[in-house]
Amino acid sequence: MFRILICVLAALPCLAADLFNETVQPFLAKNCYSCHNSTLKTADLDLQSFNTTDSIAQARETWTKVLDKIRTGEMPPKGAPRPDQTQANAVTKWIETEFDREDKAIKPDPGHVTARRLNRAEYNNTVRDLLGVDAHPADDFPQDDSGYGFDNIGDVLSLSPVLMEKYIVSAEKIARAALFGPDIPKPSLERHQPPYRDYVLSREPQFEYDKTGLSMPQAMHWTHRFPVDGEYLFRVVPEGRRPTGSDPIEMAVWIDGKQVQVMSVDAPREGNTLDLFGQAREFRTHVTAGEHWIAGSVLHIYEGLPKSYHGPSPSDRPEPPAPDIARFLRIPPDATPEQAQKLRAQAEERLALQRAPANRSYIHYMEIAGPYNAHRGPSSESLKKVYACGHLDGHHVAGCDRKIVASLARRAFRRDVTQSEIEPYLKLVALTQKQGGSFEDGIATSMEALLVSPDFLFRVEKDRASAKAVEPVNQFELASRLSYFLWSGMPDDELLRLASAGSLRGSEVLSAQVRRMLKDPKANALVENFAGQWLELRRLESAVPDRDKFPGFEDYLRMSMRKESDLFFAGIMREDRSILDMIDAKYTFLNERLAEFYGIPNVKGAEFRKVDLTGTHRGGILTQASVLTVSSYATRTSPVLRGKWVLENLLNAPPPPPPANVPPLEEAKAGSSASLRQVMEAHRANAVCASCHSKMDPLGFGLENFNAIGEWRDQDGKFPIDSSGVLPDGRAFKGPDELKTILRANKDAFAECVTEKMLTYALGRGLERFDRPAIKEVTAKLAKNDYKFSTLVMGIVESMPFQMKRGRGQK
Amino acid sequence: MIVTGKHLSRRTLLRGFGTALALPMLDAMAPAMGKGAASAAPLRLAFNYIPNGVNYKEWRPAGNGADFQFSRILKPIEHHRKDMLVLSGLDIHNGNALGDGGGDHARAGASYLTGVHPHKTAGADIHGGTSADQIAAEVAGKQTRLASLELGCEDSRTVGNCDTGYSCAYTNSISWRNPTLPLPPETNPRVIFERLFGTDDLQVDPATKARRTLLRKSILDVVGERTQKLLSDVGPADRRKLDEYMTGVREVERRIQMSEADTHKFTPNLEKPTGVPISFGDYVKLMFDLQVLAFQADLTRVSTFMYGREGSVRTYNEIGVADPHHPITHHRNLPDLLEKIAKINTFHVELFGYYLDKLKATRDGDGTLLDHSMIVYGGALCDGNQHGHENVPTVLVGRAGGRFSTGRHIAYPQGTPITNLYMALLDQMGVHPESIGDSNGKLEHLTDL
Repeated sequence: MFRILICVLAALPCLAADLFNETVQPFLAKNCYSCHNSTLKTADLDLQSFNTTDSIAQARETWTKVLDKIRTGEMPPKGAPRPDQTQANAVTKWIETEFDREDKAIKPDPGHVTARRLNRAEYNNTVRDLLGVDAHPADDFPQDDSGYGFDNIGDVLSLSPVLMEKYIVSAEKIARAALFGPDIPKPSLERHQPPYRDYVLSREPQFEYDKTGLSMPQAMHWTHRFPVDGEYLFRVVPEGRRPTGSDPIEMAVWIDGKQVQVMSVDAPREGNTLDLFGQAREFRTHVTAGEHWIAGSVLHIYEGLPKSYHGPSPSDRPEPPAPDIARFLRIPPDATPEQAQKLRAQAEERLALQRAPANRSYIHYMEIAGPYNAHRGPSSESLKKVYACGHLDGHHVAGCDRKIVASLARRAFRRDVTQSEIEPYLKLVALTQKQGGSFEDGIATSMEALLVSPDFLFRVEKDRASAKAVEPVNQFELASRLSYFLWSGMPDDELLRLASAGSLRGSEVLSAQVRRMLKDPKANALVENFAGQWLELRRLESAVPDRDKFPGFEDYLRMSMRKESDLFFAGIMREDRSILDMIDAKYTFLNERLAEFYGIPNVKGAEFRKVDLTGTHRGGILTQASVLTVSSYATRTSPVLRGKWVLENLLNAPPPPPPANVPPLEEAKAGSSASLRQVMEAHRANAVCASCHSKMDPLGFGLENFNAIGEWRDQDGKFPIDSSGVLPDGRAFKGPDELKTILRANKDAFAECVTEKMLTYALGRGLERFDRPAIKEVTAKLAKNDYKFSTLVMGIVESMPFQMKRGRGQK
Repeated sequence: MIVTGKHLSRRTLLRGFGTALALPMLDAMAPAMGKGAASAAPLRLAFNYIPNGVNYKEWRPAGNGADFQFSRILKPIEHHRKDMLVLSGLDIHNGNALGDGGGDHARAGASYLTGVHPHKTAGADIHGGTSADQIAAEVAGKQTRLASLELGCEDSRTVGNCDTGYSCAYTNSISWRNPTLPLPPETNPRVIFERLFGTDDLQVDPATKARRTLLRKSILDVVGERTQKLLSDVGPADRRKLDEYMTGVREVERRIQMSEADTHKFTPNLEKPTGVPISFGDYVKLMFDLQVLAFQADLTRVSTFMYGREGSVRTYNEIGVADPHHPITHHRNLPDLLEKIAKINTFHVELFGYYLDKLKATRDGDGTLLDHSMIVYGGALCDGNQHGHENVPTVLVGRAGGRFSTGRHIAYPQGTPITNLYMALLDQMGVHPESIGDSNGKLEHLTDL
């Protein structure tokens, strides 16, 4: 021990090897070799084979694991004698020192980012910013491949001939839309019908409820894409029954949470109910192009009921006389008093059932038809972006074509262009005119060519003649790196201007630009594309929780879940909060639907607002229904999936895939003959399984109080939830709150995790060993600066891999 | 966690190559006219499926043989009398419960063209049979660009349990490539059109088209040259990406050349649909237009069409029936419900008449498309009230190239499997499976004189 201290302090070159022989190897021999030896090679690991300092340095991955297992106490396994803690510390210290020494020896290398094809989101945004055409042409393209968790990785994004074909067709459409206006589709109809909704029918009216109806199961919600600005016909079809003697129901249609129409529906009487079946109401309204949240709801459903219901604002209409109990009651003359009483009770029950439910009217489906009276012709925004000359149709003068094409090319290629470079595109203008086309047709042809050019479709960072090993990316490349990182789109005029002037790289300019960019609404792309993939929120869209087990899960809830997480991430970004809020925060963003789902009172209405979570079990991304749902199976929670989610996305320690021939979990047992936890603990009795599951499962167990769609629960089937756990290092916790406290204590692991994820996304390539110093640097900055979001982004933007690239001198 | 030397999975890379193999029609390249059309015209086979059974009293024609009288429901196609056969007495035995309890609608859809009793499940382990159209397509589809078409007018994305314990796959699809692969119908007319004719606007005149082709070639020249230049400036990883790009450019160029060399062009006389028409009648007619075009251009010789999925709850406001279809077919012999059923049945036949008129009006080889077709119309339930799978409504139109002796009502003895009809139809197409589902021979009397 004494020897170790001296060595570390003196840092003599000979010491690493000496220490290995004197301290490390004996430790391994005593504690590890009995399994991990050359003969047994338990878990494919032969520690005996590492007999020199260098052999360890060369097997970084293996030794990272060894370090981890010794440090967390996972190894030696339970049952084996515990090693002396001082010795263990000495060994882990030695390994870390070796790693550091080796890291310092890594030659600085910014890596190489393979030419990045614009992915679908980037293509859509770039076309929008370049030409003012927001038609989402790439939605028709094949799905982008993803790697390292993101779909913007240069090496992975392929370009098939099918996609090439789509590029060509789409370029023509975009060019025509920009210059002559979008194609106006013929009116067509789309019906949207939610799956069957199962909700509790109530014969008692309520007084406290959502009068907008939006957060009630009678409503329907979806996201509709409107192809162009224009008028659209909305047809709303109700279904169900209303007690006879009720006022007509009022149906409301909402666009993006705003009420645009109220329509009242009276219905013919059929027995003791008014039958809404077969009714429909329609209206027309103007809607702007793009995606909108559409909802149909039944307003103040418990008002206007017959007086006998004793609800709020009852109807004035006459109601049919209550049926006489005599209709249901026949007491035979020879009945005993007990029998008579029983019969009377039954009759009363039947009489009560004659009352029609108060809330059995709902929106069955909606249809949207259109567009009608759509705006024709190009938008003024498009014209402004295209006609650099400043004059429009018919007034162009000589030289306009050159000016227009040059300005388009500069923006499309995101860099300055030379005269000779644009010559071929200019020739296309002339060629089109020679073929009988107009000047505008000519510009369109040239624009099409620009849009299928590799300079537009790819972000290629060309090698320069420099013989250096490392060189800075040029100013334009930096501008694109910034804009595709933060906006998933092209650099705007200001970035291009700064790049042209060669002044973007200055650290003050750069940080001012980053701040400006994060404030811009376009930064929502970072929420959608980075957070959406990092936290796996995109998977929420295709999640299909079992309808029998979770009848409450419908599209409005799904949309609300996603929105909460988006707003939460956006809040951290825009308010520059600590990224540790992700793990635990005493606030979130809720609307009535989600607040009700979480059991949080006093949140009324459809709009989202910041809500204080003090005193609840919620807080942080882990307790958000979105994450809890995507980390569950359709029918049940999975502590394994959730544990894996935490390890992968928050702690940066993905478990290896399960070995072959693992016996499956006996799911059928869970909830009936044993709790899920008991079943899983039986599974873990298998030592092979235990080595990974002892890491994953406790994390997941800590979240067991949330069911497979994120609802709080105290029971699983007939078993009480046990949400306690012990991590491999012995730290114990009870329930989600204590688990979060433990996770939050592990700041550095989380900061490193977020940094790696974001760096991967920002660079568009998988990370390598030589990126380690950069990650450490960013993590250190975060620790110094309260883990602020802007520090993370600036740290990445200023890091070597983001600023530099390999030169030809790199071997 | 940084994993050094981690390589992208083989699958990720392969996915890129896979797409290169399945090229769709390139837009500007309209299909060449089928070579068979000029000489001996090929036979076409189509099945048109109506859900929920019929009002049988109003369906069955009076009298047998050549002297039959048209029923109210079949009346709208009376002018095709000489080209058609009404077939009575055909059964779909395997649509019955056979011990499986409820779920007749699911079994109806799944057994109609397969003759197989489907495995009762709401889960992923669906199991039915191979449908007659797919057995035909296996052979006839080799000569056309699309082996078969599966169309429908009711969105079938629904998953899960659809009819008392049966998977929606059973109610949604009558076409089955194999016992575990149902082929759900495509319901979007635009997507069908693009599958047939590519994505380009086909309504432009030849001169404009030639000009566009020329400009497109020039565009490809410009970007091709640019890429060659760029290739010399980049390292190997980037070069691989740009090579993919160049492969795409060359592929498109090659196909432009092919289409220019092909003087035998087919231009559909139909504007590209933008989506689903608002009225059901227009919707069905558009789907028939598309099938006629596909046959006319010899893009396929086999198609199936579903008016609705089995158990459909569509409302027919345009003919004054505001109630959903399925509930009223449980008519309990109430006259007003029976009347509504008859109205819907008649409306369906009227729309079918539109299809027949079009086939009859389209020249094909030495005759009309209808002459060279075998068009089946019918469903897998007789009376919806009892969920009867016997004596299902069936009409066969088209002369199969003159081989069928049409213009008759043939009543078959009880227990004749409908699959025998399919055996006979496939026989005409030169496809000779040993059996289809529960078939026990080829249906007789179709060619009787």
